[in-house]
Amino acid sequence: MKTRLRRTAPLVGVLASAVLLAGCGAGGRDDEGGEEGGGGGATDVGVTEDSVTVGAHFPLTGVAAPGYSEIPTGAQAYFDFVNAQGGVHGREIEYIVKDDGYNPTNTSTVTNELVLQEEIFAMVGGLGTPTHSAVVDFLRDEGVPDLFVSSGSLMWGDDPDSYPTTFGWQTDYESEGKIIGQYVAENMPDAKVGLFLQDDDFGEDAEKGVRQFLDDQIVGVERYTSGNTDVAPQITGLQASGADLVLGFTTPSYTALAKLVSLTTGFTPKWFFSNVGSDSALVGSLLERFSEGAVSGGGGALDGTMTTEYLAGVDQPDDPWVQLWQQVWEEHGEKGKLTNYRIYGMSQAYTFVQALQAAGEDLTREGLVEALQESGADFAGPHLAPYRYGEDSHLGISGMRLVELTGGSSEPLTPVLVTDIGDAPIEEDSSGQADDAPPEGGVPTE
Amino acid sequence: MQQLLNTLLGGLTLGMVYAAFALALVMIWRSTRIVNFAQAPMAMVTTFIALSVIDAGHSYWLGFAAALLSGLVLGAVVERVLVRPVEGGPEINAVILTLGLFIVLHALASVIFGNRFRSFPAPFGVRGIEVGDTTIALTTSGVFTILAVLAVMGLLVLLFRFTDIGLRMRAAAHEPEVARLLGVRVGRMLTLGWALASLVGSLAGLLIASGSLVHPSYMDSVVVYGFVAAVLGGLDSPLGAVLGGLLLGLSLSLVSGYVGSQLVALAALGILVVVLLLRPGGLFAPAAARRV
Repeated sequence: MKTRLRRTAPLVGVLASAVLLAGCGAGGRDDEGGEEGGGGGATDVGVTEDSVTVGAHFPLTGVAAPGYSEIPTGAQAYFDFVNAQGGVHGREIEYIVKDDGYNPTNTSTVTNELVLQEEIFAMVGGLGTPTHSAVVDFLRDEGVPDLFVSSGSLMWGDDPDSYPTTFGWQTDYESEGKIIGQYVAENMPDAKVGLFLQDDDFGEDAEKGVRQFLDDQIVGVERYTSGNTDVAPQITGLQASGADLVLGFTTPSYTALAKLVSLTTGFTPKWFFSNVGSDSALVGSLLERFSEGAVSGGGGALDGTMTTEYLAGVDQPDDPWVQLWQQVWEEHGEKGKLTNYRIYGMSQAYTFVQALQAAGEDLTREGLVEALQESGADFAGPHLAPYRYGEDSHLGISGMRLVELTGGSSEPLTPVLVTDIGDAPIEEDSSGQADDAPPEGGVPTE
Repeated sequence: MQQLLNTLLGGLTLGMVYAAFALALVMIWRSTRIVNFAQAPMAMVTTFIALSVIDAGHSYWLGFAAALLSGLVLGAVVERVLVRPVEGGPEINAVILTLGLFIVLHALASVIFGNRFRSFPAPFGVRGIEVGDTTIALTTSGVFTILAVLAVMGLLVLLFRFTDIGLRMRAAAHEPEVARLLGVRVGRMLTLGWALASLVGSLAGLLIASGSLVHPSYMDSVVVYGFVAAVLGGLDSPLGAVLGGLLLGLSLSLVSGYVGSQLVALAALGILVVVLLLRPGGLFAPAAARRV
């Protein structure tokens, strides 16, 4: 027995090194892939004559999944819609979504799989600040275009020199903080403002923006830790500070918890919730059990609450973009209704199709990034304010409008306002971006 | 002033839930010398059973009863089927078993009930009681929580002190050999002990869920705080568990309200370390008899 073991040992060693070598080989395959796929000119990893493969990481399970897991279903529906019309430059878009459960460790694993095994051409819409932070360096080092990160952190685009292939998409949290901050300073100068913030980049970026305008008006700041569902001490603290307007930069579950606890403590300020935390359908479904006439169920749970929007949503069925999304969802969607999260996914997918169009027939990773940088700021599309893509910034949508939620729909409080991070002024958008209508056929042509 | 009052009232309600949970841990520890880490997912599963009953259109109270009943059954089944084979072996085996059960129940619940936040109805109002012009942070549901835990504690005391079956359970836990010689069915008593403990755990799960949001891991922090509370009380003392739970609920609420919510878990473990350093037997441990 013993001798047999000894004899097999070298064999095991050989096998192990073979496996190791094979592993190393996979990493170097990038360039070969490019040459193999070469038909009519320059191509790249994940690109063939009739297909381009892209990937994304999303929380499909776990506590972050409600709402967010719907985003890739929207994107998939739009890609199917485009593929049904022949794709882009003759290439069909293959879209691979992997579940990271909103856990950065998993994000690294699934991103490795996407880049090294699935050999994606680009990452499109990977979701989450903590999650995507774990892979942003890896994607840069591999030269993978890292487009339209689904998060409003400043990290996705404020420093294109360090991260030349990473692009943001939605309006960043600092700009959002500035816009609500200025509105409150101008229209509610006597309000005593309380801040209810998620204790991470999200809350920090937003606070930076808000403080530019409201530093003197803020009477209390409370931070909650994501994962700890007992927010009663924080709400009690805001109440004790005398705040009569609370600006919440929260995720939907914590919006619901804040509203719930404020019922318990009899706290009735005017509320503002940031775009990410104010999906009335989702928050309403969490709160509907506690109705008793105090918080009504369905879309009305957030009545009287202020929030922001940078895309037209399901509550505006007459908007031509929403009509397009409705059509796409009916033709290619899964079961279930069109939601604002699905519209988000479709709008991102739309932007990606525009980028592919702009990159031209000879599709390379470099070409794609260049095209976005050169012409991305002029893309027409569903977004209400233009993208900031350029040499100095890869940040996404430059503004939003403030709205008040009423009866499950939204009433605009301001026109679309555009700004940028830092001291950039806040101005009314003059580009007419919000008036864009979708192209005939629903697929962007250039 | 009102902030302090409201923070303390929140802590009191939460403390009562920790107390109930600590009590469940102590009951199992006393009868089988096992710390049941699976208590949290067991309570989570029974809460989701209640939610399913309520979602099917039945009343809150039917769901409540269903959860307590399934808690009772689940506790008995776990003891009889899973724990019995490792009882009497090295203690670490049983602990690892309950940790394994923790993960299995979690995974099963995610598959069966879905892995997302869901709201759990409250038995009574979720509005604070109004005293004059001010609203104090105590809801009728909160009062119900406090009364329910007190009632369960009372019933347990009655059971253990004044009934024949309580006496037999205590005998089986303290002196299994002698009890067996005197005709006590020790195995059955242990099963009953686990069943009752699991019932108390289910109650804690229901109470903390009421009027809030639940998801498969919503009880995970409660098992940590419940364990700390039980250790504060000396792990062997039911009264200590209850007082430990209240103490912990109040201090954590104060820490969260006045220092920062990110320090809550740290504070709980800090309290644990300090208590173990100063009074290793727990705050309420009886003076140790000299060992010979």
